[in-house]
Amino acid sequence: MAMANPVERHLDEEAAEKYSLGQLSARKVVEIETHFLVCECCRQKVAASDAYVAAMRNAAAELRKEQAPRRRVAGK
Amino acid sequence: MVARIRANDPSGMEELYGVFTTGIRFYLCRQLGPQDLDDKVHDAFITIAQSIRRGDLREPERLMGYVRTVIRRQVAGYIGAAVESRRNMVDPDHGAILRDRKPDPERKAIEDQNNALAMRVLNTLPRRDREVLVRFYLQEQTPDQICRDMGLTATQFRLTKSRAKARFTELGLARFARHKGFSASATAKRKEAPAARAS
Repeated sequence: MAMANPVERHLDEEAAEKYSLGQLSARKVVEIETHFLVCECCRQKVAASDAYVAAMRNAAAELRKEQAPRRRVAGK
Repeated sequence: MVARIRANDPSGMEELYGVFTTGIRFYLCRQLGPQDLDDKVHDAFITIAQSIRRGDLREPERLMGYVRTVIRRQVAGYIGAAVESRRNMVDPDHGAILRDRKPDPERKAIEDQNNALAMRVLNTLPRRDREVLVRFYLQEQTPDQICRDMGLTATQFRLTKSRAKARFTELGLARFARHKGFSASATAKRKEAPAARAS
């Protein structure tokens, strides 16, 4: 049975998130970027994933900042 | 299409634009931001067409990968130039000043709203789940490391992440609905109306 060309495969949510986080191998990145050049549905997935990852990262940083003084006080 | 581009047939370029414009725009915008995007897309097409005409693309069936390689190189070039120019700008010997690049206000507003939603999600989660997400998204710890340190199974880790994402999406959709003027309660009322009339 012939295997589907990896470049033609759609992204799942996990792959999109790993791509947004920069956690994929160079080979996988090439496959994904080549695919989304011609796939609107996967571009939307990547855009949504980029937005989510950035928002979570910013919110987590904010949370850590808020917690830091409390931790320092508790540690005294 | 490749044969027509090589032969300088305008329909070949038309098709190239039709197939790749949105993808190239998306890629360049994601990597470099929205500044001068139209010019960058235009430059990409010129580079691609010229190199195809020169015969650099030997196997036409590899066009997609080839386009990606060309724009990847273009991005590397822009980044290199930006690094160099920033170095010159901060170098006092050049006498230049750093320019403040303000973000696009619309983009900034969307980012602020997303950040607020993410904050809401984090604040409504149990402390342990919140810690998982902070470690993963902010500290960039691997799932294995998080599971080991926090005594979680891979499934528990995945569930924590997917629940947070589902909540974020749900809040985002609710916000979108409010902006469009059809909140969940209004929709429910509309659904109830025919039944009320029937009774």
